[in-house]
Amino acid sequence: MKTYLRIAASALAMTAMVAAAAPSWAEGVLRLDEVPVGELDPAKASDYADSLLMFNVYDTLVLPAQGAPGHVPHLAMDWVVDGTTVTLTLRDDVAFHSGNRMTAEDVVFSVERMQALGEGLSFLFTVVESVEAVDDTTVRFTLSEPYAPFIASLVRLPIVDKETVMANLGPGNDEMGDWGQAFLSANSAGTGAYVVRSHNPQEETVLVRNDNYFLPVDPGAPSEVRLRYGLEPATIRALMASGEHDITSQWLPPEVMSALAGDGAQFFSESGTGGFYIKLNTTKPPLDDVHCRRALAAAFDYETAIAITRIAEGVAGGLPATGAIPVGMFGANPADEPLVRDMEAARAHLEACAYNPSEHTLEVSWIAEVPIEERFALLMQANFSELGFNTEIVRVPWVLFTERVTNPESTPHISQVFVTAVTGDPDTLLFPMYHSSAAGTWQSPEYLDDAEVDRLLEEGRSADSDDAREAAYSALNARLMDLAPTIYAFDRNSVFAASPRVSAPALTDPAAAFGVDGMGFSFRLMTLDD
Amino acid sequence: MIPVLRLAAKRIGTSLLVLFGVSVLIFCIARVIPGDPARVALGPNATAEQVANLRAQLRLDEPLVAQYGHFLADLARGDLGRSLYTNRPVTTDIAEFLPATLELILVAGIMMIAFGLPLGILAARFRGRWPDHLIRVLSLLGVSAPSFVWAVGLMLVFSYYLGWFPIAGRIASQFEIGRVTGFLLIDTLLAGNGAAFRSAAAHLVLPAFALALSGIGQAARLTRANMIETYETPYIEMARAYGFPERRVANRYAFRPSLIPSLTIIGLDLAALLGNAFLVEAVFGWPGLSRYGVQVILRKDLNAIVGTVLIISAMFILVNIIVDVLTVLLNPRIRHAQRGATP
Amino acid sequence: MRRTARILAANPLSLLGVLLVSLVIVGAVFAPVLAPFPDHRGAVVDFTNFNKPPSATHVMGTDVVGRDLFTRILYAYRISLLLAVVVLAIAVPIGVTLGLMAGYLGGWWEYAIMRLTDVFLSIPPLVLAISIMGVLAPTLVNGMIAVTAMWWPWYTRLVYNIARGEKVEGYVLAAEVIGASRIHVMFREILPNCIPAVLTKMTLDAGFVILIVSSLSFLGLGVQPPTPDLGSMVAEGARYLPDSWWLAVFPGLAILVAVFGFNLIGDGLRDVLGADR
Repeated sequence: MKTYLRIAASALAMTAMVAAAAPSWAEGVLRLDEVPVGELDPAKASDYADSLLMFNVYDTLVLPAQGAPGHVPHLAMDWVVDGTTVTLTLRDDVAFHSGNRMTAEDVVFSVERMQALGEGLSFLFTVVESVEAVDDTTVRFTLSEPYAPFIASLVRLPIVDKETVMANLGPGNDEMGDWGQAFLSANSAGTGAYVVRSHNPQEETVLVRNDNYFLPVDPGAPSEVRLRYGLEPATIRALMASGEHDITSQWLPPEVMSALAGDGAQFFSESGTGGFYIKLNTTKPPLDDVHCRRALAAAFDYETAIAITRIAEGVAGGLPATGAIPVGMFGANPADEPLVRDMEAARAHLEACAYNPSEHTLEVSWIAEVPIEERFALLMQANFSELGFNTEIVRVPWVLFTERVTNPESTPHISQVFVTAVTGDPDTLLFPMYHSSAAGTWQSPEYLDDAEVDRLLEEGRSADSDDAREAAYSALNARLMDLAPTIYAFDRNSVFAASPRVSAPALTDPAAAFGVDGMGFSFRLMTLDD
Repeated sequence: MIPVLRLAAKRIGTSLLVLFGVSVLIFCIARVIPGDPARVALGPNATAEQVANLRAQLRLDEPLVAQYGHFLADLARGDLGRSLYTNRPVTTDIAEFLPATLELILVAGIMMIAFGLPLGILAARFRGRWPDHLIRVLSLLGVSAPSFVWAVGLMLVFSYYLGWFPIAGRIASQFEIGRVTGFLLIDTLLAGNGAAFRSAAAHLVLPAFALALSGIGQAARLTRANMIETYETPYIEMARAYGFPERRVANRYAFRPSLIPSLTIIGLDLAALLGNAFLVEAVFGWPGLSRYGVQVILRKDLNAIVGTVLIISAMFILVNIIVDVLTVLLNPRIRHAQRGATP
Repeated sequence: MRRTARILAANPLSLLGVLLVSLVIVGAVFAPVLAPFPDHRGAVVDFTNFNKPPSATHVMGTDVVGRDLFTRILYAYRISLLLAVVVLAIAVPIGVTLGLMAGYLGGWWEYAIMRLTDVFLSIPPLVLAISIMGVLAPTLVNGMIAVTAMWWPWYTRLVYNIARGEKVEGYVLAAEVIGASRIHVMFREILPNCIPAVLTKMTLDAGFVILIVSSLSFLGLGVQPPTPDLGSMVAEGARYLPDSWWLAVFPGLAILVAVFGFNLIGDGLRDVLGADR
């Protein structure tokens, strides 16, 4: 027994010994976090964490202009669009992390790899019929049909190092093996300003600055970046308070964000790329009647919805919506005409509806991984009960949700999703949501089938001038408001809490914002005040 | 001694059978969890055609029996398939994450023994007096809340308010320790880096303690109860009557027999922690196998689910065998019965 | 029995346990009368009044959609207790019977039962429950089934170990010699010696069932919102620590009080029943 007491005593002593002072920030190191694990393979990048890694490890041919519409040269110096042919001239002074020079062959390989794997955002490039390397610095895309947003799509085409990938092919079905998937899921083969040093899917991805980057980088930019995964909000809260963390993810509850602000954190934000959409299943009674849908849209309390996302004075996760298209995009309504609740109008619409609300129970779903949606579900329940609708709130894990929406019968009456334009172009926001051919995905649980909407969507992507696109999307916006397949709850404003030691103009100054989700996290444009 | 060996051999033999049962069970279960693994793997933007291709590639279209056959054939080659979640071989993932969890659990086990047994002994010796009551209240409190509640509480008090311990992770980020065993306490020592060892140890204290709390309480209660029981047996009375010093009575005659049930409980507790540590791992950002297991279940990552569950089950069975053998070794009555039963 | 009660009453800690459990039961049974805002047990929103610290109107504060936390805790107790009672009422008789059979009958019975038990015990409990809940729809009843399915083997194992030891004791041999039936020996001779351990484990488990169901709820596989559940309240409330502390602290304390109460009684019982032996 004495032995055991001795062990206990020494355990206590050891505990006291190792209780050292917590380490604070390390110079030049930027620490941030995301909820899902970032996918390093650039051909598979789709969500926020993936994009964030992709934009830093890889470069794209063009970049969105900062604080303005249009695109500016990046790996490509200039480009010519001629109907269905797009020809780009590449820089000749760019090297991959391996030291290999970036050439047109690498661009061709990157497109082919993306198409062959068919994952992530590869659907953006199904329109590419062929791509060829005319010479070392010239690459030509041939499209199957005129596609106005093609240049915009190029911001989602990361260029990979063909030679390095070919040297690291894993086993597969043909001579291309696994297309280097195993290799690229843990290593980098890009030209980007940062290089992958280590990648642990359960812990963090560590990036270090590429000193041979082809563009000048501010010496104050982070020399090392640690992207941590899956930490609990309370853990992040504690890490931020002790100076061991620099930028939070956008998924923290607003209450935690505002507590961090109370501790001296600043806010970063990205907006204008998407919205929070409450999707109505247009195939199920009573929502197959447009009047009932309009009634719900009018009865929804838009102001309270934004209040739920409120973080601090003047900072909220939502900005007032003005219609189907977020403010700032082609076809959007002016910012000073926000949607508001109108119970009188709602009752009038309900009068015209063929169904009796008391005979129907609306199934309102919310995504289990996004707890704030439960609050919106409860808000809808309160709002719609004023019209006499019964509602049943169901919590659906994301995996099940994506499966339920593949069939109109199993799709809930009401679903809640955040949707963004992955390239910043309205086509990538609206086409997957409302074109009849795209129905039945997580973006399109409305099952909208309207010839006019289809026509306007096709016009928007094939029109050859910005004015013509503006006109098409404006008409589409009006049509979508009229059909009310969706309650356009608010425009998304992604907010991140950050330590004051970080400055990131692309996330704080609207004149420097990229208008593409995640690109504001180009670490080379940030500086650390150490 | 020989019968004990024979018992162990027999248990290992039947364990293989049990493992086979587990593999069949989990294999079937993994395939009926709702959600299409191919769709989940490809992400929300995948087309129906892409999903169909991946399904074919993963052989999900074949009958369940054929799928199980492929699985066994691959398993025989030491191949558990690729994880769709990390896009790496499942064996790589397990090799990377298992040591982190094991290290955490073993330290928790040491804490259970180091705190639980002495507290139980103290309580038994001061039975009915204030140390007994205090220890009883403390150990019952330890058992009475889920480990993640303790985890959050400990982190807030000792890391956030007091700043005594680091908040999350396994080691401070400035240390680059080469991976030998995956156990950071060992790897840092092998590297001869004292500061890194201290950092790794400091990172272990709170999560391990949060996991150990309920075990400490249980071990203390059991030890106390068994000590009291053995105190009342005739041979203790006799030892006292012979005038042996109280300490020797406590140690030699009362403590040792009381060990068995406590060790049994601690052993089973530790094995259960392999699967249940995930909430604590989540709070402390601990890159362990337990958290991995939950992630892959939520993502319907079939290969990883089956692989993880098999490994956890194998370890669980191993602990069970050790506990059984120990029980027999330490309890003469069962030992003799066993000898009688094996001709 | 009366003696048990008397000894229990003489132990202040056991008395405290009885008091705590009684409070919990009274709170649960009379929730509709005691709760200040009975409709807050369901899907109600009060966005003028959300996330408020404890006050005179809301003694435990309000949650993130403005519901009274005290009301929700009382209603959560109802479900937790119901679950614990049902799960144990099904799992314990099954587990104990199988354990007795395996331990006493031995041979083929022992082999079959203990290997089945091993299979169940070899799968991490949560994985098993998740799998079962995954196959069935996530409802309260299915939650009970899942938890029951993972609970019985523990009793089988516990009773098996005791029965195996008792089987070689003199009194069992004596009963066999005078020709008692196997059923008699199992349930009349051996079972009484298992009761202290089983009772202690049951009182402990009453709390553990609550904890496991909470973990399931946390993963979205247990009690579904807006039905209140202590475990998911803690798990969700923990996101808001340390600022909105009441969201996690009160449900956490609620779990602690209930489980602590059961444990105090269980511990007292062990003393009494142990002394009886």
